Amino acid sequence: MSHYNFKKITPVPTAKDFVDIILSKTQRKTPTVIHKNFKISRIRRFYMTKVKFTQQNFHDRLTTILSEFPKLEDLHPFYADLLNTLYNKDHYKLSLGQINMARHLVDKVASDYTKLLKYGDSLYRCNTSPALPSIDPNTRTLLVCGCPNAGKSSFMNLVTRADVEVQPYAFTTKSLYVGHTDYEYLRWQVIDTPGVLDRPFDQMNTIELQAITALAHIRAAVIFFLDISETCGLPMTQQLKIYESIKPLFSNKPLIVACNKVDVTTLEELEQNFPEKRALVAQLERDGVPVMQMSTLTQQGVMEIKKEACDRLLAMRVDAKMRTKKADSILNRVHVAMPAPRDQKERTPFIPESVLKTKEKREAEANAEAGNRGGAYGNDYSLDLNKNKNLENDEWKYDKIPQFWEGYNVADFVDPDILKKLEELEAEEEEREASGFYKYDIQEEDEAMKEIHRLAQQIREKKIINAINAKIDKPQGKAVMPRATKKRERERSVSRLRSEFEDLGVDMSDVQGCHFTRTRSTSRARPPIKRARMDSEGRVRSSSKTPRDQSGVRDVKMAKKLKKIGKKAQNAMNKDGRKGEGDRHVYDLKPKHLFSGKRGLGSSNRR
Amino acid sequence: MAVRCQFEGSNEVGVFSKLTNAYCLAGIGASANFYSIFEDQLSETIPVVYASIAGCRIVGSMVTGNRHGLLVPNTTTDTELQHLRDHLPDKVKVQRIEERLSALGNVVVCNDYVALVHPDIDRETEEIIHDTLQVEVFRHTIANNVLVGSYAVLSNQGGLLHPATPTQEQDELSMLLQVPLVAGTVNRGSNALAAGLLVNDWAAFCGMDTTATELNVIESIFKITDAPQATASTTMRKALIDSMT
Repeated sequence: MSHYNFKKITPVPTAKDFVDIILSKTQRKTPTVIHKNFKISRIRRFYMTKVKFTQQNFHDRLTTILSEFPKLEDLHPFYADLLNTLYNKDHYKLSLGQINMARHLVDKVASDYTKLLKYGDSLYRCNTSPALPSIDPNTRTLLVCGCPNAGKSSFMNLVTRADVEVQPYAFTTKSLYVGHTDYEYLRWQVIDTPGVLDRPFDQMNTIELQAITALAHIRAAVIFFLDISETCGLPMTQQLKIYESIKPLFSNKPLIVACNKVDVTTLEELEQNFPEKRALVAQLERDGVPVMQMSTLTQQGVMEIKKEACDRLLAMRVDAKMRTKKADSILNRVHVAMPAPRDQKERTPFIPESVLKTKEKREAEANAEAGNRGGAYGNDYSLDLNKNKNLENDEWKYDKIPQFWEGYNVADFVDPDILKKLEELEAEEEEREASGFYKYDIQEEDEAMKEIHRLAQQIREKKIINAINAKIDKPQGKAVMPRATKKRERERSVSRLRSEFEDLGVDMSDVQGCHFTRTRSTSRARPPIKRARMDSEGRVRSSSKTPRDQSGVRDVKMAKKLKKIGKKAQNAMNKDGRKGEGDRHVYDLKPKHLFSGKRGLGSSNRR
Repeated sequence: MAVRCQFEGSNEVGVFSKLTNAYCLAGIGASANFYSIFEDQLSETIPVVYASIAGCRIVGSMVTGNRHGLLVPNTTTDTELQHLRDHLPDKVKVQRIEERLSALGNVVVCNDYVALVHPDIDRETEEIIHDTLQVEVFRHTIANNVLVGSYAVLSNQGGLLHPATPTQEQDELSMLLQVPLVAGTVNRGSNALAAGLLVNDWAAFCGMDTTATELNVIESIFKITDAPQATASTTMRKALIDSMT
């Protein structure tokens, strides 16, 4: 039997108090001061803490209410009925449901705002809502609208650098996008809107409504896209229905109907194939709406449409401005006062000769460039990099000097004094020739000289052969082992001595009694062979122990692998010609300087 | 081409330098960036000189001059005067004048033939201006501002006036100065023209904030490009009207 204590339920404050309590708690328990010199990450964290803290408190308080208030089903029927009489059961349940809903909404709002804060990139953006596109409703604007998939975003991408996503399906653009373009020295805002479907405003979804809002409130030049190829999926009749339904929004705005996708079909082709569709467009033309053709694919007509739309809007804005009170203060600035002569004196500008000259030169170059424009590949003008070289002789300007010549870098052989040196060399040569340096008698070569030459030739050949042999003997592609670590071959041996001496002609048949024949006797007692230990049970377990290099080895494959690894590990030692790390030699166990002389206070340890 | 530049982050380049057809004076900044811009554009034709007036670098506001001469205020020290004389061509007369309105750049605007001066300037100064700069001198205001030097920029080919100058006054001034005139702004709507703009007959320098429309008006009225001088009232008219607030 459960025990009811309704007094224990935490009192619920009124809605206003509730909010005040939470907010003041947030204020008390989170950081309050922020400076503009804070790093953006810190500012972000600051606000995110506040949002999260508030959300957590709301959540906790609402949860307490929900959990502490009893569930009607769990109550004793007496209490349930009492509650129903006093309070109305349905109302009670509804209220709790509402609180649960409120808790849910608070969580959602908080998570939305932390997300917004996370991507706020300046204090200003943190304080404002970054969800809205930064559209300036008062500036010069081109507004792109039409049915879904008509090519609005492609147009946007062509005239601005907004880089809006373009996909071949409807409703790729789900919100308003802003881009900017330049025309007539001015900056123009281009707004890309989501596609609009043909249905009453009250049935439109939020995506379509954004386009409608933009159309209704922004005084812009409207470019209505008509897909005359009907590849967007909507027939012309329906597209024009859309046009008719949003037509009231076009009032007092310059409007251009852009017939897009003329790469598929042009208005002329439409006339031939589907005259009834062409008639629909003609109806628009009769109403005084300019109809222009373009293709975002081939970019044909795109700039004309932009220009037309800008011109119309600009004319309208100027007209509107001229009708305001400010007109006078503006007009004086577009007035250029031209002087009426007041005397006969001439007042010429003073421009130095050199300035005029460079200007002329520049103009000539520009003209040459302009003159060469056009032609089969658009621009035939090629930049002449050699024209303005400052060389001794103008003929050299167009000489071609390769960077590499027969494998040599030409620049390495450039010598500013080369001509002088050549002259000197030629003069010296001439002098030599004149003094008879090159005149010698060929008859002088006698037999003795010939012999010397022959021998010299032989020597040279032998030298070359030796060099080649030496090269062959040398281990190639392998590191040469240091001499100190090289394994010592046994150089002296009796057999060698014997063979060498015999080569020299010494009689080595009778060497009995020579000291080098006295080798160690081979009949020395060997150490006893280890016998297998046996006991009563046969072989002793310890003697059957597997060798260390085989213990734990699963199979032959593993053994092979281990062997390989072992060899590899030995590599470093082998390089030094050592058996292992224990194979070392201390050259001087007792270095003299450490063991002689008087010692002071210091230690004798050299380290 | 008119060049956009800055003096140590300030767009008021005209305050720190003075440009005429025969020389260019540049204030001494912490770095040579500003000076190099002038040197780069002008040094082949005219001397570009570092200068200070009374130890200050606001050279453009303190001096006035044209290709015939240079007038400096009485606060100029002797060494500074000597420095200027040493650097400028001999044809340019450098003269120090005793004038109560010592910021000469703000009270005198001139080209090589005419000058507009502050209405309260000394008679003596007026004479010196006439003799040294070899110009006709007129006492005048521009859009009810006495600081004619600040609110007008003049070359032998054209002139830019305070944006509030009425059409009628522009015509009168054009008659006096014998050059085409237009009212305009620099540095994104600033009316301190002389502070934001430096011109002579073939070059122009303006503050970094100057917009494309402003730059176009400047280039056409001062004949820096080959665009007709009346551009502001013809091809640029719509753009100008729409960009004004």
